Amino acid sequence: MIQVKNLRKTFISHVKEPGLKGSLKALFKREIKQKDALKSVNLEIKQGEILGLIGANGAGKTTLVKMLAGIVHPTSGDATVMGYVPWQRSNEYRKQMSLIMGQKNQVWWDLPAMDSFILLKEIYQIPETQYKYNVEFLAETLMVKDHLKTQVRKLSLGERMKVELMAALLHNPKVIFLDEPTIGLDISAQKAVRGFLRQYQKEYKPITILTSHYMEDIKELCPRVVIIKEGEFVYDGALSHIQKMLGDEKVLTVTTDSTTFKLNVPRHDLSKKTQELFEKNTILDLNIHDPSIEDIIESIMRNGVRPS
Amino acid sequence: MRWWRHVMAMELRKIIAYRSDFWITFLGQTAIQLVVARALWQSIFEAQGVKEMQGYTLEMMQLYYLIVPIGMKIITGENFGFMAREIYEGTFTRYLLYPLSVFQYKTFTYMSYSLFYSVQLILLYMLYRVFVGEAPMNVQDVGNLLLGTGLFFLAAFAYVMMGMLIELLALWADNIWSVAVMMRFFTSFLGGAFIPLTFLPEWSQKILVWTPFPYLVSIPARTVMGLTDLEEIAKAILIILVWILVFMELVKLLWKKGEMKYTGVGI
Repeated sequence: MIQVKNLRKTFISHVKEPGLKGSLKALFKREIKQKDALKSVNLEIKQGEILGLIGANGAGKTTLVKMLAGIVHPTSGDATVMGYVPWQRSNEYRKQMSLIMGQKNQVWWDLPAMDSFILLKEIYQIPETQYKYNVEFLAETLMVKDHLKTQVRKLSLGERMKVELMAALLHNPKVIFLDEPTIGLDISAQKAVRGFLRQYQKEYKPITILTSHYMEDIKELCPRVVIIKEGEFVYDGALSHIQKMLGDEKVLTVTTDSTTFKLNVPRHDLSKKTQELFEKNTILDLNIHDPSIEDIIESIMRNGVRPS
Repeated sequence: MRWWRHVMAMELRKIIAYRSDFWITFLGQTAIQLVVARALWQSIFEAQGVKEMQGYTLEMMQLYYLIVPIGMKIITGENFGFMAREIYEGTFTRYLLYPLSVFQYKTFTYMSYSLFYSVQLILLYMLYRVFVGEAPMNVQDVGNLLLGTGLFFLAAFAYVMMGMLIELLALWADNIWSVAVMMRFFTSFLGGAFIPLTFLPEWSQKILVWTPFPYLVSIPARTVMGLTDLEEIAKAILIILVWILVFMELVKLLWKKGEMKYTGVGI
């Protein structure tokens, strides 16, 4: 179980004015800027649950994941993961946890993935039989059996991500943090990774936190989502309930002779608004539909709408 | 097999992963350095019109410059600066996730390079003595070679700790490259890698005895050449061990403060 209470993180960075003058000035005096990456958030996740973290770039998703993985210390607040304080980094906790970051490499580039796996087997003290079974199972499911003896740097992005996943799951973690695991992958590789994660979740039932910019990842894998905006949770609940948040609105996708745009219109204003549009524009196409999850999340992230 | 043996084995595999790079590192660099040093010191000896300078003949000087560059590689490895870069790029996160000490892991990584270059020193020194040297090797020479290489290996451990102190500054500073270059320069100069320490003024040699520098390069190199006695070696081991303990404590202290600053890059 994961419990987070009033967790806050403030980052300090230096600001430099552009140009040579700014560079010279920075040699003697640097301006400090504070950024609240997370503003006192609370969260509870049960064993076996998979939670989707959604938010714009810099919203604080990765910071939360890093804190729960024990990489970053919080500015204030508490968190426990299966009873362990993550940033104390006890070996017992780290043996049961895994963090997969889509843009960072965990396996060694200059060597075949199999060499990295052998080292990980020793580091995590994985029994021989479990190790053999896991390599077989993961390689089979992810369809990378033929690539395990090839130097990692020579693999495609999708193949690399798959061996990264293998490396992260060899020790059967009970808690998995997936930070944009499908970033940069083509559609078929994304599908394969999603399919694998679904199967893995079903078989081992770990606590999983997934951050992704791809709504398909969230829709397929996460029954529950948390939406973060500027370090604050603006929604925490079932993905299926999210559509009810804008239930009294319709989305108009309008194509004129010069542009295409979307409008969120209250149901009772629909005919009036449509008439206005036809009067003021040369309409080539008009589509009226219920808001999609993507539309609603975008609206929440843009306007910070809170659930009623 | 324990994890640290796997770490070392894996680093060794990385060294030999690229064939041409391996042979250039193993033979090419040393040969070039040796030829340059020979040419330089020959002209100095000829210009001075002497057969010996500060206790070194031209032959001894050539031997010294065969040992020292490889000795420097034993102590500095090839990984220096990597940890700071990993901190800047966020790939340092990998080691924080493993259920083991990050510093133990990094130490074994560095030391695997030291092990590789120790083997290189033993092989190249023996080849030199057999094919180029004035006198063939005897049992005592082999003993000196192994003892000196052992001292280089111990010095490598001290240097790893010193290096970590510098690299951890990356948690505070945006760029530690200049500090790292300074450390390398001071180690080379005060350790005797540029010129043997007997060329320095006597007062500075008396001060240097209490610093870790002579025990990083000069004493191990002189031991390989059979120019040190047991008392000097014992004193060297004792002093370098004290420095290792001091550096280890400082690394612990610095990490305790610095880990709060680690961001893993990105919000």
